[in-house]
Amino acid sequence: MKNDQVRVSVRVRVPPEAAFEVFTKEVDQWWRRGPQFRRGGTLHFECELGGRLFETISERDGAQLAVIGNITVWEPPSRFVFEWRASNFDPGEKTEVEVTFERIPGERDGTMVTVVHRGFSKIRPDHPVRHGAEEALFLRRMGMWWGELMTSLREFVR
Amino acid sequence: MRASDVDRTLAALADPTRRGVIDLLRKKPRRAGELAEALEMTPPAMSRHLRVLRKSGLVEETVLEEDARVRVYRLRREAFESLRDWLDRVEAFWTMQLDSFVEHAERTRPLTKGKR
Repeated sequence: MKNDQVRVSVRVRVPPEAAFEVFTKEVDQWWRRGPQFRRGGTLHFECELGGRLFETISERDGAQLAVIGNITVWEPPSRFVFEWRASNFDPGEKTEVEVTFERIPGERDGTMVTVVHRGFSKIRPDHPVRHGAEEALFLRRMGMWWGELMTSLREFVR
Repeated sequence: MRASDVDRTLAALADPTRRGVIDLLRKKPRRAGELAEALEMTPPAMSRHLRVLRKSGLVEETVLEEDARVRVYRLRREAFESLRDWLDRVEAFWTMQLDSFVEHAERTRPLTKGKR
């Protein structure tokens, strides 16, 4: 399912080693704040194979841990892959994020960072959201299920 | 997308045959007979499924551009736009994140030499 993915690249003026370190170790410092991006807590990457990306959310009775996923490929400073489970996913449902860091030829400090987020078509809403449920939630779940279809439809629509 | 549209879309997509129809129409418009054959359904059974899909607004019946005598079914792009929107939002999410990442990385990591 080649179309079942989102790919975003960006150029950063630091070497791959630094880019990799910032992306992982300093995730909490650059990851955007606000309800669209996090649940109001602090983000951590456990920087090793099998390590987790998680968010700790302080509450009155202690901290809550929300695990987004585990690191499945760990190849610093060029690549790593982690699972991505949104809070509304069913157990077993997951997508995958691959991040690559490539030195830009001829630039002392240039790195191309590419994020590929894939696996949306594997997610199926077994229990479709019904009346009264949030529309955003519905769209999110349907969107995931239709991921593969949607990407090919983009070409169809444009 | 209104709640009633969502319900209708869901109902239309709840059936595996109808999902199969959508999948086939994604590639190109097809005649009802072709769809029935591809999905191993009798023509009357296929026609019932197509009626549900038509009512949901996911597909429409039309004529072939090159031959107006041939009636075909095709996807209605409007019905898919709000769904399609989702992947665009994932893309926007990562674009914003990476912008923020670049800003932080370039601010905290000194260049090897010279000014940026």
